[in-house]
Amino acid sequence: MATPLLEPSLLRRLEALAVLVRRAVKGQIGGERRSVSRGRSPEFADFRSYTPGDDYRLIDWNAYARLDKFMLRLFVAEEELPLSMFVDLSGSMDWGRPNKALTAKRLAGAISYVALAALDRVRLTVFAAGPTSGGAPYRGRHSAQALFARIQSFPVGGPTDYSRLVWPISRQRPGMTILITDGLGESPLEPAITALQLARQEGAVLQMLAPQELEPDWTGDARLRDAETGAEREFTSTPATARGYRTALARRTGEIEEAARRRGLRFAPLTSDQPIEDMVQRTLRRIGLLG
Amino acid sequence: MSFLAPAAAALALTLPVIVALYFLRIRRPTRVVPALHLWPDQIRDRQANVPWQKLRFSWLLLLQLLVAAFLVSAAVQPALSASVTFAPHSIVLLDASASMQARDVQPSRFDEARRQIRAMIDQLAPQDRMTLIALESTPRIAGSATGDQDALRRALDGINPTNGPADLTAALSLAAGIVKPGDDARAYLFSDGIVEPVRATFADGLPFPVEYHRIGLSGENVALTSLVVRTSAQSRAAYLRVQNFGQQPRSFSLEWRSDAGLIDVRPMTLAAGQAHDVTLPVPAAATTVTAHINAGDIFSLDDSVTAIARVPRAFRVLLVTPGNVFLEQALRLRTDFQVDVIAPAAYVSGSAYAMTVFDRFSPPSLPDSPFIVLDPPAGSPLAGGAAIGVGRVRGSDAGDPLLANVSLQDVHVARSQDLSASTFGRTLITSVQTPLVLVREEPFRQALFGFDIHESDFPLRIGFPILVQNLSEWMLPPSVPSHSFHPDELVTIVPETGATSVTVIRPDGSRRALATGSVATFGDTDLTGVYTVEQTVAGKTDRSWFAVNLFSDATSQLKPAAQLTLPPTRNATAAPSTHRGFIQVWPWIALVALGLVIAEWLAFHRGL
Repeated sequence: MATPLLEPSLLRRLEALAVLVRRAVKGQIGGERRSVSRGRSPEFADFRSYTPGDDYRLIDWNAYARLDKFMLRLFVAEEELPLSMFVDLSGSMDWGRPNKALTAKRLAGAISYVALAALDRVRLTVFAAGPTSGGAPYRGRHSAQALFARIQSFPVGGPTDYSRLVWPISRQRPGMTILITDGLGESPLEPAITALQLARQEGAVLQMLAPQELEPDWTGDARLRDAETGAEREFTSTPATARGYRTALARRTGEIEEAARRRGLRFAPLTSDQPIEDMVQRTLRRIGLLG
Repeated sequence: MSFLAPAAAALALTLPVIVALYFLRIRRPTRVVPALHLWPDQIRDRQANVPWQKLRFSWLLLLQLLVAAFLVSAAVQPALSASVTFAPHSIVLLDASASMQARDVQPSRFDEARRQIRAMIDQLAPQDRMTLIALESTPRIAGSATGDQDALRRALDGINPTNGPADLTAALSLAAGIVKPGDDARAYLFSDGIVEPVRATFADGLPFPVEYHRIGLSGENVALTSLVVRTSAQSRAAYLRVQNFGQQPRSFSLEWRSDAGLIDVRPMTLAAGQAHDVTLPVPAAATTVTAHINAGDIFSLDDSVTAIARVPRAFRVLLVTPGNVFLEQALRLRTDFQVDVIAPAAYVSGSAYAMTVFDRFSPPSLPDSPFIVLDPPAGSPLAGGAAIGVGRVRGSDAGDPLLANVSLQDVHVARSQDLSASTFGRTLITSVQTPLVLVREEPFRQALFGFDIHESDFPLRIGFPILVQNLSEWMLPPSVPSHSFHPDELVTIVPETGATSVTVIRPDGSRRALATGSVATFGDTDLTGVYTVEQTVAGKTDRSWFAVNLFSDATSQLKPAAQLTLPPTRNATAAPSTHRGFIQVWPWIALVALGLVIAEWLAFHRGL
């Protein structure tokens, strides 16, 4: 029997959480989210003049008595949150102990489950050289296992091309988009982040790195092979070169964080040896993504 | 410049090997990394194992070649010629006597001598051998005929200055003993020349020449050379002698104290070479008295002296005689004797006397203690044969310590019992006709006179009281001698009867346990000061004291001898083949190599 993506006990604890949004969202069907559409809910939003075709049940008769004018009572509609998960399954993610791709899949599953439990709509997309859709949006807790199975079924490998994410991101309806990646592809991540802003996504960039990336555990001579492109280069690891690598990695991480924050996105660095519950309960709650 | 290990030049082959290694390429293990573009473009051949590649300039290569070159240079051990000449076997005698503690050269004569010897060891050639002899009161070999410089340095560091004299005769005998026939040796004496005069004649001469290296410059020293406490009927006083051995007048203060505290401080001035005797009071209750001068000279060992002020414990001595004023007076000369005189009829055996003298009387049973029997009556156990006439008398052994200072030249004995057949003991004084005085050590020290001293002119000679004194000291030595000893001098300690433990506490507080039940010889007297002897008798602790002081004019005069009278070198001994020593410079070259290794390490870390 295949190992479940997430343990049932963890799923039970995740049900107590919810994906937090800073502004109201507009979904397609009712959910538990405040919607930019005015609809049926106990929460009053505004008045507007009646126009033919409006639901007459919403006419405020008391206002008509006072103003002699039909006014409609507008309520905040509670709709589902359109949550899009973009998970990097490129070759660079198939690395590290624990494996980054596996941890990214589990994290995506955990966040998705939080959303599904709150009747939010989850759309899954994985990407490497290009995006691959995870199928029709998932909604409701019952669809979680299908989503998990789908995530697990995706292969890992190939180069990363973040520019190929611009199109699917820009097609998103305003909502929440979470991008899980190591950010190490040769192409820059910034176009994808810009696309998130333009698509009015309230999003988050979660950078997943392995502990061996942060602190290489080897020294000496080696032939380095790129996990994505297969390119090779002879190399001698010395304290100076190790220092240079760490500097480059820190600069790359800093650039991603800076780009995310500049566009109002949340950012969190994660390492693949962190327990999923620790990521969810601590890191993602700390940056305000979950609550 | 010479090379002590030229064969090591073969190690220069490492240089082309290093270059060759740079021609090789490395077989590198493949490592998959998530993002190759993050890794700096850095490559360096460190462990080449696949041929070949084009040689590239590398600072590391240059530094490694330099390191190897310097290490090879150090390995061949280049050496410069030194000023000191060595024989194949160098015998170094280091004077460790008291005078070498003088500080006219800094930090002291001894340290200066040690420094010069250390320089010699450093310049020793690999094939040379060196023997180190510590010139002390009892010379000893510290390092024996070895070329191991580290062992010699350790042996040199193991020699420390002592407070005793330097016995050069014994040291030269020791050195001569270790030189084998045909050994090419030369002795180097590092000393201030203040040594005991050479006694032995070395009739055949020394098997090596002796090179005297004088250490020291000055003889400016004020010393306390004597301190004696005398007790008279009226009072007790101490007699102190202070002497300025230098060429300059000296002013200083003399501090006089007992174990109870300070008694007096008085200023003194002594002209060059002047000696001054001082009489000082001794408190009645004082156990020790100490004189100290703060002369600020170059030698401090003779600036403090101590004497024992307490009167030694008295022995009870019984003289059984019909009347013998000569014997009685001779016994009373010992201040620590309390003499009781009784007639033979009053003698009761078993009396608790340390010593008994029987004059013309012999009890039925002799006491189990030291005794002297003179002219025992006929029929008594110790009586000899019939009396015979005696002519001139003489000592049986002129070198016998019991006859020290006893002149028998004008001594005549009219007649004596014939002791020829006596088995009492060995003969001390004899004549042609018969032995006259016999002594024995077992079971106790005892003496037998075969004649009545009234029938001799011996009591009228100066030798008689001296003989009685010698015999009584031999039989009853002071339990703990109260006079002053010199450093390293042996002290005889006679434990009290019934003592269960005897311990000597040295001036530094260290304790030495002695055997009880027999006369003990204590030799750990290298420190100056007061030694306390603790004896436990019947559960009570009995304390007595003796002092050790330098008290040596020869040492205190301090002026280094310009020349030493040394035994001649054996004629048959050819002049030893000497060669100059070497100043090895390889440690400096190795140091440079170490610096280059550090530079190479830094260059590697900085990615050069």
